[in-house]
Amino acid sequence: MKLSVNRNIGAVVWIAGLLVPLVASNSWISILSIFAIYAVVALSTDVVLGRAGMYDMGHAVYFGVGAYVTAILNVQYGVPILWTMPIAVVVAAIVGMVLAAPMVKLRGDYLLVATIGFNEIFRMILINDVGGVTGGPDGIFGIGVPSVFGYSISSQEGLFVLNWLLLGIALVLMNNLDKSRLGRVFRYLKEDELAATTLGVNARYYKILAFGLGAGLAGAAGTLFATQLATVSPSAFVFMESVTLFAIVIVGGQASIPGVLLGTVLMFVVPQVFRDLAEYRYLVFGLAMIVVMVLRPQGIWPRRNRPE
Amino acid sequence: MSTSEPTLLALDNIGISFGGLRAVDQLNLEVKKGQVVGLIGPNGAGKTTVFNIITGVYKPTDGRVLWKGEAINGLPPYRVAQRGILRTFQTIRLFSGMSVLENVLAGKHLRTRQTWWAGLLSTPAQRREEKQLREECMEILKTLKLDHVANEVATSLAYGIQRRVEMARTLAASPELLILDEPAAGLNDNESAELNKTILDIRDSGVTVLLVEHDMNVVMNVTDHIVVISFGRKIAEGEPESIRNNPDVIEAYLGKDDDEDEQEAFA
Repeated sequence: MKLSVNRNIGAVVWIAGLLVPLVASNSWISILSIFAIYAVVALSTDVVLGRAGMYDMGHAVYFGVGAYVTAILNVQYGVPILWTMPIAVVVAAIVGMVLAAPMVKLRGDYLLVATIGFNEIFRMILINDVGGVTGGPDGIFGIGVPSVFGYSISSQEGLFVLNWLLLGIALVLMNNLDKSRLGRVFRYLKEDELAATTLGVNARYYKILAFGLGAGLAGAAGTLFATQLATVSPSAFVFMESVTLFAIVIVGGQASIPGVLLGTVLMFVVPQVFRDLAEYRYLVFGLAMIVVMVLRPQGIWPRRNRPE
Repeated sequence: MSTSEPTLLALDNIGISFGGLRAVDQLNLEVKKGQVVGLIGPNGAGKTTVFNIITGVYKPTDGRVLWKGEAINGLPPYRVAQRGILRTFQTIRLFSGMSVLENVLAGKHLRTRQTWWAGLLSTPAQRREEKQLREECMEILKTLKLDHVANEVATSLAYGIQRRVEMARTLAASPELLILDEPAAGLNDNESAELNKTILDIRDSGVTVLLVEHDMNVVMNVTDHIVVISFGRKIAEGEPESIRNNPDVIEAYLGKDDDEDEQEAFA
């Protein structure tokens, strides 16, 4: 039935994707790798935006923090890639919570403007090489390859499996979130904060937690992004990237796993496949946003209620 | 109800101003354990404001709110809820797009043990608790005759049913004091008769009730004690019978009943 398909669509996509390297060329494998990374970032944006209902238009910051933590630790201090991931998660989560703490009482559009401000500050910090660790406008090169039990993962297939694993973990976490008090509380806050607080929900705590979780997950994706490209530079974490992530969630379907995955495909995979048309992607996506918002305000693949 | 029961809630000279408007002034009110207390008054008298002060939505400009003798004014709403004071809203505030069951589960928030990481990891204990919570909520839905709509989207249901869902949600929190803000508004005669019975059942289960209501049928039949306010001040209080015959009350409130109904109809 429709409901169970919707519920398991993430699992179906994930298993199907795992088989792709057996049949596809290297360019397809790297496209899927990028898809996996951006899908995780989009899912992490959805935690804050689609689930907890906070207009976060600076989510690329947390993705960038994760990527730069990995780049700096690996290139300058020689920390193995996979060891940098937990650090990237924790640092991104802390940044997310610290930035969120003074902001979460802001409503809707005010929060949105504040998050844009943070994204700009973050970009300026990277470009101006604050602290002498970010490499300025050029970023950081020569990020190493991850190794597992002594085996270096340098092939596209190997990196793909790593990226796909993280996507799988993210999908499981999102699925669990839907079935837990935490996920419900996020929705209560999104739908009616006053009603939620009069039922005992500490809104501030849960909103900061939403930022922490969303940022932490984006940080993990950042590690793999830095690894996949072997380089990081400020341009990957600018305001426009945050807008894209925001659009993926809104257009795809808030709090809907298939919706967010579909949005990621439209925004990151389609332009890669039709490279000649890539320059039109913002035009096409902009038009798509307008059409979807008018005709289907819940998103292309909206969340469905799950009867228990 | 005997008056020897301990006082649960006391408003001690509560006042609040919005700009130049004195919405509530020098209000004293006592709710004893096991009572059903009615707060009535003309529209704009400040009844909902009083509820907002009690539940922490507004901070009073002066005076104290005492819960079992302890001042709770100034506490945020979620801390007031932690003490066992739960409310419904005059304009129903259900979580839109969520099922009736999910709405009622919200009432279980404070009775839920699972940590956020247990939820993300979906531990066996967390899954057991979720199952348990759902069963408890289904029981509550059954007693309010709502079990047949448990999986419907709450905000798509008829108005009278939504009111019951909101009440079920607060009952799920096992309140000590239940505050009902015009529970009969928008209900038909059958539904409001049913509401009378529900309120008395709630009281008999050991929950103290404070309610604002315009429907005199409900107020006179279920309350043990009535407080009448007008323009933010208390003008009378006593048993339903004495309030019914109080000339001040008739002038301030009942005499304007027709206007009330008209305004209600447009509300």
